[in-house]
Order: sequence, then C-alpha cells, then structure tokens
Amino acid sequence: MPQLKHIRNFCIIAHIDHGKSTLADRLLELTGTVTTREMVTDQILDDNPLEQERGITIKLHAVQMPYTAPDGQTYILNLIDTPGHVDFSYEVSRSLAACEGALLVVDATQGVEAQTISNLYLAVDAGLEIIPVINKIDLPNAADMIPVVQQQLVDLIGCRPEEILLVSAKHGTGVEQLLQAIIERIPPPTGDPDAPLRALIFDSMFDPYRGVVVYVRVFDGTLREGDRVMFWATQQVYEVDEVGVKQLKRQRTGELSAGLVGYFVANIRRVQDTKVGDTVTLAERPCAEPVPGFREAKPMVFCGIYPSDAEDFEELRDALAKLALNDAAIVYEPETSAALGFGFRCGFLGLLHMEIVQERLEREFGQQIVVTVPNVRYQVRTTTGSIISVDNPAQMPNPSQIAEIAEPYIRAQIITPTDYIGAIMQLCIERRGTQTGMAYLSPTRVDLQFELPLAEVIFDFYDKLKSVSQGYASFDYEHLGYRPGDLVKLDILINGEPVDALSMIVHRSRAYEWGRKLCAKLRELIPRQLFEVVIQAAIGSRVIARETIKPLRKNVLAKCYGGDVTRKRKLLERQKEGKKRMKQIGRVEIPQEAFLAVLRIEK
Amino acid sequence: MRGLYIHIPFCQHKCSYCDFYAVERLEMVELFVEALCREVALLPENFPEAVQEPIGTLYFGGGTPSLLAPHQLERILAALQRVFRFESKLEWTLECNPGTVDRQRLQAYRAVGVNRISFGVQSLADDELRFLERLHSAEDACQAVEWAFQAGFDNVNVDLMFALPGQTLLSWQRTLERVRALAPQHISAYSLIWEPGTPLYRRWQQGQIAPVSEELESAQYELAASLLEQDGYVHYEVSNFAQPGYVCRHNLLYWHGEQYVALGPAAHGYVNGRRYWNVRNLRRYLELLRQGKLPIAGSEQLSAYQRLEEVLFLGLRSDGLRFESIRREFGLELEREAQELFQRWDEAGLLRLWTPERLWLNSRGYALCDELAAELVVFAERLWKRRYGTDSMPGVLPLRVLDEEAVLGALPGYAQAVDSSSSCTRMPSLPRGGHK
Repeated sequence: MPQLKHIRNFCIIAHIDHGKSTLADRLLELTGTVTTREMVTDQILDDNPLEQERGITIKLHAVQMPYTAPDGQTYILNLIDTPGHVDFSYEVSRSLAACEGALLVVDATQGVEAQTISNLYLAVDAGLEIIPVINKIDLPNAADMIPVVQQQLVDLIGCRPEEILLVSAKHGTGVEQLLQAIIERIPPPTGDPDAPLRALIFDSMFDPYRGVVVYVRVFDGTLREGDRVMFWATQQVYEVDEVGVKQLKRQRTGELSAGLVGYFVANIRRVQDTKVGDTVTLAERPCAEPVPGFREAKPMVFCGIYPSDAEDFEELRDALAKLALNDAAIVYEPETSAALGFGFRCGFLGLLHMEIVQERLEREFGQQIVVTVPNVRYQVRTTTGSIISVDNPAQMPNPSQIAEIAEPYIRAQIITPTDYIGAIMQLCIERRGTQTGMAYLSPTRVDLQFELPLAEVIFDFYDKLKSVSQGYASFDYEHLGYRPGDLVKLDILINGEPVDALSMIVHRSRAYEWGRKLCAKLRELIPRQLFEVVIQAAIGSRVIARETIKPLRKNVLAKCYGGDVTRKRKLLERQKEGKKRMKQIGRVEIPQEAFLAVLRIEK
Repeated sequence: MRGLYIHIPFCQHKCSYCDFYAVERLEMVELFVEALCREVALLPENFPEAVQEPIGTLYFGGGTPSLLAPHQLERILAALQRVFRFESKLEWTLECNPGTVDRQRLQAYRAVGVNRISFGVQSLADDELRFLERLHSAEDACQAVEWAFQAGFDNVNVDLMFALPGQTLLSWQRTLERVRALAPQHISAYSLIWEPGTPLYRRWQQGQIAPVSEELESAQYELAASLLEQDGYVHYEVSNFAQPGYVCRHNLLYWHGEQYVALGPAAHGYVNGRRYWNVRNLRRYLELLRQGKLPIAGSEQLSAYQRLEEVLFLGLRSDGLRFESIRREFGLELEREAQELFQRWDEAGLLRLWTPERLWLNSRGYALCDELAAELVVFAERLWKRRYGTDSMPGVLPLRVLDEEAVLGALPGYAQAVDSSSSCTRMPSLPRGGHK
C-alpha cells in the first residue's frame, strides 16, 4: 500500500472547450500511463462517441497515474474527471468531494466563464486547494489576453499572479511544471486505514460481464475483496468480488486503503442501485457518520417518449432498460397518451441530458421515437388541501380543483461582456426573470444573477442567450425550489379532440399569445389531409385560437411512365418514408416534429 | 398475356418538357432498325424466357415512332415474327407525332397491321404548342386524327397535357371540347411534370417560368374527368380515359403487373419477376448489338414484399385492388385488415367501387392517388411484418448492373478505374451468354 504522503487526488475544473480533456490526455502521456501510440482517439477520457462528437464529457471517470517526480519519489496521482455541463452540477460536487485539489483551467483567449465560476465555488466550498492554470497559450492572440485572464483569476481566487501556471496542453508546454505543482501544492489525503470503512461513491458504470463497477474514494478504513459492504442510503449489502484501481484499464489490487481512489465490483445489477454521493461502509462494522452531501439525483426536466409505431413499444422498453444500465440519472415509467398510445414519461437532469438520451435511443438503439415537449415538474395544491406532483401537463387536475400551482425556480448566473447586458436583461425579463445581482469581474465583463422559472429556461433559453450575446455569454444555474405562479393549462384540439401530448402549462399572461402562435405553427407543420383539419387552442373549455388546414386536392404524378415501374416505385418509397414519420391521431396524421412545435415558436 | 414494347429513340425536335430518351439524329434511323432486328434475333438464344409466351400487345413508343417509314416497320415486324408468336387478336399501337404523318402514311401503317394510333396532340391551342416546342399546329393535329379515321383506324388515342404555364381553365376546356368533337376512342391527359435536365426545368430554375398552382392543376384535372365522363369515357387510370371496349390493353398490362418484353434503347421490361432495362444511349446500344450482345443495362429481381407494394400502388392508380388475388398471392386479408383505412377514403368520397372483391378509386381518388398509395403501403408494410416477421422484409434490393460501362460510362475516368473482371455484379441467368 502506498503511503498517504505519496497520494494526490485532484480534478480539473474548466468550461466546455477550454481544453480539459486535452490537458488530461497530456498528463496521462507524460506520466507514462498511456503511450503515445495508445492515444489513438484524441481524447481518451471521453470514450462515448456521442461525447466525443459534442466535445463534452457527461460521465465521470477516474484515472490513476503513477508519477516519478524529479525528487526521485514515486507518487500516485488520481485524476477524477468531472462532467462539464450545468445539468450535472450535483455529480460535479460529488467528484470534487473525492479530491483534495483542483486544477482551475481557463482558456487564455476566452477568460473566465460562468461554469468555471460555479464549479470553482463548489470546489472552494469543498475546501480544495486550487491551482489556477491558463491553457491554450499557444494560440495566436493569447499573448495579449494572458495578463487580462491573470487579473481575472487573481480577482476571483485571490491568488498571486506568479501562482498561475501557463500551459499549452496541445503542445505539452508547462505540463511538467503543472505536475510539480500538483505534488507540491495539493495536500495528500488524510485518513485512518484501520478505522471502519467510509468510502464515497462518485461514479458507477455498467459492465456487461461484471455488472456494476462502482468508483469510490476511500476516506477511512480499507476495502478488501470478500468484504460485506453496505450502502448507507439504500441499506443494501453486497459482497465485494474485486477491488482495484483504474489506469487506462481496470487493474485488480485486492484492496483500497484510506486516501485512495479506485473501483470495486460486487455483483450489483443496476447502476440505479449505486447512488452517486452515497457512502460505502462495512456491514458488520459500519462507520459512525456517512460522507456528507448525499442527495438523490432528481430529474428536473420531463418529456414523453413514444415509439413512432405503436407496435414497437416492447422494443422501446428494452432499449430504455439497456440505456438505463449506464445512466443512473434517467428515470422513466410507462404512461399512456390518448394521442400517442403506450410510451414512457422520462425524467432527466436537464435539457442536455434529455437530448443525449434521445440521440442514444435513435443512434445506438435504432429506435424511431416521438418525443413530446419537455416540461418541468409542477406542485399543485388542490382545493382539498393535498399537494400533488405533476410531471405531465396532460395530468393537470381540472382547474376547479386547483387552489395553486407552484413551479420550480432557478438562480441563473450569466457571465457576459458588458456590451450584451441590455440584450440579456431583456431576454431574462421576457422569460419572467428577476434580476438579483450584478457584479463586474473586470471593466468589460459582468456577472449577472437572475431568478427564473425553470420552465422558461428549458425552451431554447440557452440558444437565445448565445444568439443575443453572439456566443460570448456563459450560463450556469442552481435550483431554488418551488414558487407559486399564475399558471394555466393550454390544450390543443385537433378536429375537436384534445391532443394530450400537445398540452402545456403556461403563464396566464402568455396563454393567448402562445395559443395563437402554436396553432399557426401547427398549421405549418401538419400537411394537408384528405379532410379539413381544424386546430384550436383552449384554456379549459374556452377556445382562444383557431386555424384550419384545407383538405388536400391533388397528390398524384399524372405522368406517362411507360413501363418504368421501378422509377415509380422509388418515388413511392420516398413518400412512404415521409408517411412513416407521421403519427395517426384520430383521422389526422401528424408529423413527429409537430409534437415539438412549441420549441420552434419565436418568442 | 404478354406485351412487347419497342422504343424508337428519334425525334425531329425534342420537346422542351420531355425526358424520354430520344435523339435528333434522323440519319441513324436506318442503322437503328438494323440493330433492332438484331436485338430481336438474339433473344431466343440469349434470353429465351422473353420469347416463351405469345404476344398480345405490341407498342411502338418513343421518341417518335412515326419517323419510321412503313417499309421499316414491315422489316421490324418480319424480324419479330421469326422469333415471337402473336395472339390472333393483337393490339398494335404506334405513337405518332401529328406533324410527321399524312393520309398515305397512315394508310400504309394500317396496311402493315398497326391497329391503334396514339397521337401526341398535347394541346389544341397554338401558343401552348409553341411553348411545348411541338412542331405541329392545332389544325395539323385535328387533320391527322381525321386522316387516321379515314385510313381505317377505329382505335385512336389523343394525348393531352394540362398544368401548362399560361394555360387557363378556359383554354383547357376549349382543347377538351375540340378533342371531344373529334371523338377519339381513347384520351390520355397528363399533367406537365417538371423533369430535371429538360430545357423547361432549366427555365424554371432560372426563374423565367413557374409551375401552375395546385388549385388550378387540380381544377383542370377535375374538369377533364367530368367532361370526358359525361361523354361516356371511362376514367380507368389516373391519366387515361376510354370509350367502353377501348381501354389500352398494353397500358393495363403495366398496371396489372403482367409481363412485357423490352426492345430498343432505354426500354423497360418485366419478365419472370425481374424488371430490366436497356442501355439509355443509342451509340452504346448499336455498339453492343454489333458485338452480338443484348443491350441490357440492369435489372432487379422483386422480392415478394416489393411485388405486394407494386400490386397495391399499380392497382390504386388503375382499375382497382382485387382482394382475392392479393389473398392468393400474398396471404393477406387486405379488405378486412385495412377496413378502417378504406372507410376513411370512402368518407372522403374517393371511391367508385368498394365491394368484398374490389376497391376502385373514382376521379377524386385518382387525384390523390400517390397520397393514398403511400398510406396503403405503410399499412401493408406493418401488416406484412406482423404476418411474416421483419426479416422477410429486405430494404431496397440492390440493383444489378449488367453493363457498367453503359450506365457509368458517362462518368469521367470511370473506364480506367473499373476492373473489367468485376463479374460479381453480373447475374448468371439473364441474359444467358449475353456477357462473356
């Protein structure tokens, strides 16, 4: 077992695209953990193709790097990777809790961004030693910007300018010095290897051959193969089959003692049974207190996912079950929609998480799905005084039974060049936001704070923010809890029949405008049919908007084909593919995009 | 019954909208006739399936078949008679451009044995004819039809076009009325299709002209259907109207999924469940035949499911779905399974006939035929999967290209890039001995 003084546990905090993964790759290379030849894919830590494609990391990983320092001593460096998106801030906080230090990486040409700051605060709260790093110093315009970014970092964390390391992860410049700084500045872990086991789960993954692989940081005690361990939150007991550390692949070591980061396998079948943030202890000799900070990961955004073809329901269920093997954060349960048939109501950590799940279902699992408009979870106080949670607008009780509807709020932090303050304030006010703070980070950069209903943020807020700030503003948020609002359910009727999958909850002041725009958008999206189609928006029984689609009169190529039936059949195949993307509701065929029409309305 | 289609790839002048294969090289007609006769002669040995059954319909299409002199037609017929057996009641159609015939020529055609003339009249408004770059006037066209009757033809078709830019409902009605006065036994009314690669399409892309509105086009279609039905014509296919007893048997054979043999460049055939097509290039066609090879460019063998799709969409666009034969061939109870779908069509007023045996669209249904066909095949695919499983459903079968050079020769550098030994794309059975 290595001595505690030779262990360093750290993570990297960085905004998307500021070079976290590239830096991690260089560390792996320089410590000899991987050879250059193994660097086939550019960024080793992002091993999900979808992650690589989007340049973001959504899963946590940990890598152990042995490193022989210039002083001749061999150290064990544990790099705990953190996800880089607002949807996953709880997971970030748990991986931070597994560390003693953090590298704060900032792009030399971009400066500090909202996400950097919020994750930095999390790291400071967790008591981590922060090593500020300016990356991408090789970029042409970096030289001019470095002093500015240095000043930002000095202001932000109160360090001295000379403590800031200048690095080009791409070329490897300054990475050697960074390794030195990690050893010198980050304190080694503390802990008693003989105390009762106390280990923090910060990640898990599903291995089809071994079941769930649980990643832990051991704070006290020692985890050994054959131990009977208990998970604090779930009270489940498992026998440990295998213990080890993860380098590029898993390396079995038989035990993990206090201070170390590693994995264990214990015949656990579902990642849902291992909750990030939970404490692992011995069943027979439990620790006194769990590692603080555990929270159930709560889904914040919901939508319905249905098979395009009702007959593929079972297939979709299998696909979701397989997907959930590796995604502990997704929740789903079967639901029925009058319009769409059998499907699932799914909950996600945020919009990005939702998009990733949809894409994985389509690409990895080959499912043709219809997705409904995302919504938040509402709390409804009924006239009888009970409180019910509603995560599907179609299930909102009758208005006469509702005393009050409350909706989740967030505190948004937006960091932007000062030029865009006006446009951003305008956007937030349109989204029912209230400004609660404004602080200048530098004469040209400002930190804006707003409180906003989450429901207003899940529709294209991020895209709008990027567009009004020409891509310069960055955004992060935290949850504030529920607040009552004057909310109503807006129904869409097609040929007089309410289409439950199109119902939504909106603020009363917007209901008319939304109803009108939504009907107009649906009129554009729904093709003409054999019959006239009437689209109406209604609140309760009151119709507030209406559009009609005239019946189709002609759709035939009255052409002389001669005997070329092949060509005709190919045309038909194309039309058939178009039809398959339609969902039949009553007698009306509705294209899948229509269920997301609301997302395409210009606010 | 089997048909025989012969493509005559020549025009004096190619019309602005036309994307059928034709060249303006009339000096090559004689060479072509020789090659065509050779193509016929090659069949018994190289493609014996093609000549096994007697021929019931013979169709000369184009291009402009009426550029063939009667003696050339006679030579072709002689070559055919050496190889094919013909049914006693042969329907023999010759497409004629009204600008290329006179009374004598029509009499001569009749004497050779042609018994059905199909005139490319298109319009009886001179400005529309000029727009289409036709070489004849409205007067010429009417005259030609009269001559055909005088020459003894009692089965004459007139091709018409609507949805032409600038063509009003009124001018379309005038054309229809003048044609009714001529009283041909058969009328085809095609809407103008803007085909990529045609001069017309280019003018559209350049913003000089534009397609007519869907409203006008469907109004013109409905007008034709109602005027002609009043005169006793039966609307028996999307674009075709016939006096009782004068349906075009050759056309019906396409819609009924029956077999037809193809001759001439770019001609399409269907023999023993296989669709095949000849090279679409006259020079290549002549060259292959000079080498003693059949000019087949490619073919595809239909899967059972593809056959079903064809039966459905071809049935819809012609004289109806026949449930009993669908049950026999595919084991599907379509009339029962698709009841709801048909009910919807019926409520929308699109059906002329819906019995346990047959479902037949009316004119309004024809106008929506592609829409309905897509609905029906989506439904049928689901039904098929449920009945036979997903594995029985190959996607699009790969096209087998027999003559790579003919198809791909137009691509620069292709000839060098292709290994001539790539015989894996060749099929063993068709044509036998055609490629060595």
